[in-house]
Amino acid sequence: MTSSRPATGPPISLILTSLLRADFFVFLKNRRVLLLSTLLPVFLLVTTSSSKAVQHFGGAAFIVGLAIAYGLAATSILGYALTVARDREQGVFQRLRVTPAPTWTIMSSRLAMQVVANLVIALVVVIIGTRMHHLSPSVGQYVLVLLVSILGGAVFLSIGQALVGLVKSADAVNAVGRIIFVALVVLASLGASGSLGSLWESIARWTPIGLVMTLFAGVLDLTARSGRDTLALVVSVAYIIVFAGIGIRWFQWDAR
Amino acid sequence: MTYIIAEEHDDGSLLLRPESSSQTILERTPEPRGLIAADHQGRLEGQRPAPTMPMSERQPERAMATGSVARKADRPEPSLILEIRDLSVAYGTKTAVDDVNLQIIRGEIFGLLGPNGAGKTSTLSAIEGLIKPRSGSVLVDGLDIRRDPSQAKAKLGVQLQATSFQSQLTIRQIVRLYAGLYGVKLSDREITDSLQAIGLGGEAGKPFKQLSGGQQQRVALYIAVVHEPVLLLLDEPTAGLDPQSRRQLWSRIEHLRQQGGSILLTTHSMEEAQAVCDRVAIIDRGALLTTETPHDLIEKHKDDPRVRKVAHGDVTLEDVFIGLTGSEIRD
Repeated sequence: MTSSRPATGPPISLILTSLLRADFFVFLKNRRVLLLSTLLPVFLLVTTSSSKAVQHFGGAAFIVGLAIAYGLAATSILGYALTVARDREQGVFQRLRVTPAPTWTIMSSRLAMQVVANLVIALVVVIIGTRMHHLSPSVGQYVLVLLVSILGGAVFLSIGQALVGLVKSADAVNAVGRIIFVALVVLASLGASGSLGSLWESIARWTPIGLVMTLFAGVLDLTARSGRDTLALVVSVAYIIVFAGIGIRWFQWDAR
Repeated sequence: MTYIIAEEHDDGSLLLRPESSSQTILERTPEPRGLIAADHQGRLEGQRPAPTMPMSERQPERAMATGSVARKADRPEPSLILEIRDLSVAYGTKTAVDDVNLQIIRGEIFGLLGPNGAGKTSTLSAIEGLIKPRSGSVLVDGLDIRRDPSQAKAKLGVQLQATSFQSQLTIRQIVRLYAGLYGVKLSDREITDSLQAIGLGGEAGKPFKQLSGGQQQRVALYIAVVHEPVLLLLDEPTAGLDPQSRRQLWSRIEHLRQQGGSILLTTHSMEEAQAVCDRVAIIDRGALLTTETPHDLIEKHKDDPRVRKVAHGDVTLEDVFIGLTGSEIRD
């Protein structure tokens, strides 16, 4: 043991690198979760490949957009929130917090890996979706899809953060997360297809999944862009601010 | 004999104790800030050897008075490695720690004892910067844990009551992560060598949860000291360990102390506290009841009716503990 007094703590760059490396290993170990998160979107793409279904959802771009939104919602609301809740309950965060690592580095590293997961899911789903629905996006559109994935992912991550901010126990986060996820998926699927009538269709379009679907559809079919896309962007940002605000304000590092 | 400044009083006089931590004699200097006199000859039988800290580090905190006198000009200030001032911690309306004051000097093993729910872990949590105290301050080697958290935490080694690392990571990955968080870069070779040194060379690729309790304890302790902290905090380090693992752990802790580190631990084992701690503090219902060497504590309270009532034969530290904190079972 030494007694030399450093002028500063360990360099932030080394702290961040260490956290990112560890979270990346965890991300690789959790690839099964990633795979499961892409199954629902792929299932949606397969079951809506008929022309009648495409018409119901307002076009192939909307279906692909909806599928990506499902994937992002699954990995963020179910995956991210549950992992954070479990790590909190098991004391992983407490162990990290007694080190010199500032708390923002711990959470930033987690979020960075989640963004990577979201990008992977979006890319896989958009590749499968555009092939199944005979869309031919340009390279620029692929780039836009990735950018919208970051934004759309942020919408669902902020919901996940709000969830772990308001609910302490991992079991409860799991249960409530599933309820929220199923509710969003059912509302978006039935509402967006018009099966529940025009009122529910309008409501569904402004839910987080509906908004993200609209944003993806906007970049996949640039000819159909409208003012609603811009509004969807604004409302998505509002969702992020509100849910992230709740999640940060009420988040506790210790489950006790 | 080498003396350590245990306390410095307002009138300028000093409270000294021999460097041997197991020895209990404390002396107050006769005149304020005057000469330090020493008249004790040699070491007591069976006393613990002095920490083998490099002289460059030992000089500033020890008053050298080997059977002679040392002038004030030669006497540096005592080195407090931990200073807790008026610490209070509350959870809602419940006060867990109430106005606690505590000091730990370099090279000391300090035991914080108390029944369940007495405030031990809350005190440690405040030292670790995990919770915000209602009032008071915690200084780690002179750095305020709330004001300079990163720098202060870099000086602490921590082993929590229930150690939990990311379950998906292997031991090697965990070691690399925590070394990095303390600013220590370790190569694969260094990690392998270190794990081999603690008898875990073959476990580097296993997840933490696959290790036995004793192995987990060794990993947790290794990670706690990977950056060579000046103060090691151990929250019930021997809980759930078999006698062999416990013996090994104490041997490692003693080794750390011999390298010049200070250790603050909580334990429910009074025998262990009596055997290894230089000083102990008893905390109950959030308040610090007493702080003494184990020997002094027994001497001071051996005739206390509450202690006599629970003692069978010679009074032990456990008798004193139960006498002072009561016999009822706590949750």
